Amino acid sequence: MRLENPYLAEECVIKGSRRQTPDVYTYAISYPRGSRRLRTPFMPGQFIMISVLGIGEAPFSFSAWDDEKAIFETTIRTVGNVTSAIMRRGEGQRIWVRGPYGRGWPMEEARGKDILIVAGGIGMAPLRPVIEMVARNRRSYGGLEILYGAKTPEDLLFADEFDSWRSIPGAELLLTVDSVPRGTKWDHGVGVVTTLFDKIRTEPNDSIVMMCGPEIMMKFAVKGLLAMGFRPEDIYLSLERRMECGVAQCGHCQIGPKFVCKDGPVFPYSELRGLPDLLA
Amino acid sequence: MRGMVVPKDSLGELVSKLSDRYKIFGPKRKGTEWIFGEVESADEMDLRYSTTILPPRKFFLPTSERLFSFRMDGRVEEPEEPDIPALIFGIHSCDLNALLLLDAVFSSGQFPLPSYVKRRERTALVALTCTEVGDHCFCESMGTGPSPAGGYDVLLTDLEGEYLMESGSRRGDEILALARGREASKGDFDRKAEAIERAKSKFKRRVDLRDIDELFLKNLDNPIWERLGEKDLACGLCVNSCPTCFCFDVRDKLDFPMDSGVRYKEWDACVLLEFSQVALGGNFRRDRSARIRQFIGHNLGWGGASQFREFRGKAKCVGCGRCIRYCPAGIDLTEVLKELRGA
Repeated sequence: MRLENPYLAEECVIKGSRRQTPDVYTYAISYPRGSRRLRTPFMPGQFIMISVLGIGEAPFSFSAWDDEKAIFETTIRTVGNVTSAIMRRGEGQRIWVRGPYGRGWPMEEARGKDILIVAGGIGMAPLRPVIEMVARNRRSYGGLEILYGAKTPEDLLFADEFDSWRSIPGAELLLTVDSVPRGTKWDHGVGVVTTLFDKIRTEPNDSIVMMCGPEIMMKFAVKGLLAMGFRPEDIYLSLERRMECGVAQCGHCQIGPKFVCKDGPVFPYSELRGLPDLLA
Repeated sequence: MRGMVVPKDSLGELVSKLSDRYKIFGPKRKGTEWIFGEVESADEMDLRYSTTILPPRKFFLPTSERLFSFRMDGRVEEPEEPDIPALIFGIHSCDLNALLLLDAVFSSGQFPLPSYVKRRERTALVALTCTEVGDHCFCESMGTGPSPAGGYDVLLTDLEGEYLMESGSRRGDEILALARGREASKGDFDRKAEAIERAKSKFKRRVDLRDIDELFLKNLDNPIWERLGEKDLACGLCVNSCPTCFCFDVRDKLDFPMDSGVRYKEWDACVLLEFSQVALGGNFRRDRSARIRQFIGHNLGWGGASQFREFRGKAKCVGCGRCIRYCPAGIDLTEVLKELRGA
């Protein structure tokens, strides 16, 4: 039997993009159904490898997925060669995608439980499908509390969706920013995301925490949550690492014995405790 | 067929017969060292070699290899791996066991790499019980030598004046059928056991593998890593000479006039600065101390059976000693381990 080359990607088309912040865009990307190189269903928290031929490939999370329309969304900050090349490609242009890979958010374990989301900056991108999944299957989950921090108000992603998130029954959205530029109207918190912790109403028992953001933020957030009585096995983090393959071969994403691409990118804190090069 | 014994001077005839069927690679002299290179006759090989500069990993995972070619209009072409049967003659037990770890990474996982799988399938392995234990060798402690327990097509053991040939596969049976000799007796197997014991008595280095994962994870903050980081040149020779290091980069290259190109993979090394770098300059192993800890920790601690369920060995390291031998800064993972144990 001829083996499938795992590095071949599926040709997809950019259907449109929306500006989220000065350097972050959400791209809608249409994909061919039934592809082996881009397999559905996606699970929230998994990632995909996106490439522009001749420029290179990089890992991204997807921020929404609609199998009926065969479109997924990915929210990308323009910071390097591949992300700049994606941004320069307009509507109708092709990009190459393979995946999804890895272990996503614990949507099964979270059934019937309260969910506390802690996001920092671009870290909200992989959590957006969680919020949508809870909204679509409202009775399957308990309370939904979302804590979201960013550098400034204009760095908050999906701001146009905040009202609809607030209107999810039993949902709470708490926002904070590091600083507010003069002249910007801001009715929410100022400070790092952990300054919102004394407002958390989610009880540590029978709840799941899902967290994504800069590792320094996650380090302090985990510390705070543990102090509040959340259990290490109920606190899930999505990690960023260099990834060149997505299939546990290139070795870049290793943390101790774990491959972030295969064993993660979402891990319960209990699996990460005591491993090297982490949460620094 | 359990095994046969062939006179040493008949090896030339066997290699000559094998060269009709296989492209043969064997240990050859290069200056004061040895390399695995293509050979056409037994005379070109030195089976009393100690350790080659590079391990045979290079035949299965070349320094650089094309994943696919593309045209800018989106047409993609996969590389065709040639079907030429190859044979590695005289591979030592350490290097053979190393291939079993690479198998866990590239063929038994969820996404096998077709080029690797094909190269492994088309390459016959004629292993050699190691009798030339070098100063840096410690395969015995790692449970990977001096004689392999399996994974070979044929195993040769030097019985002084003749070789014991054992088959480990159907392909091995076919190779044995080409040899001229007599059936091996119990006495011949006893002589093999003696040869192994003699080799074992030559080891100067021993490591203690008890609770080794735990030992490394408990010592992440040991000051030894800072000290090694000061010493380390981050040159990558350890990784490049390692038989089990598998890490690589994936890159795109455009051909002139930029209407076509290739996506290719190329050896990379965890001890290099950019290895763990992400967007915006973030780096999860910026300090050399963290990088050398990754190399040594992965090799002796958390990288073997605890990382790959399919891998039945103990550690990622197979005890070939190359990283010690080539380190320009004199970093020696067996000494590091001793220090961590407080010895």
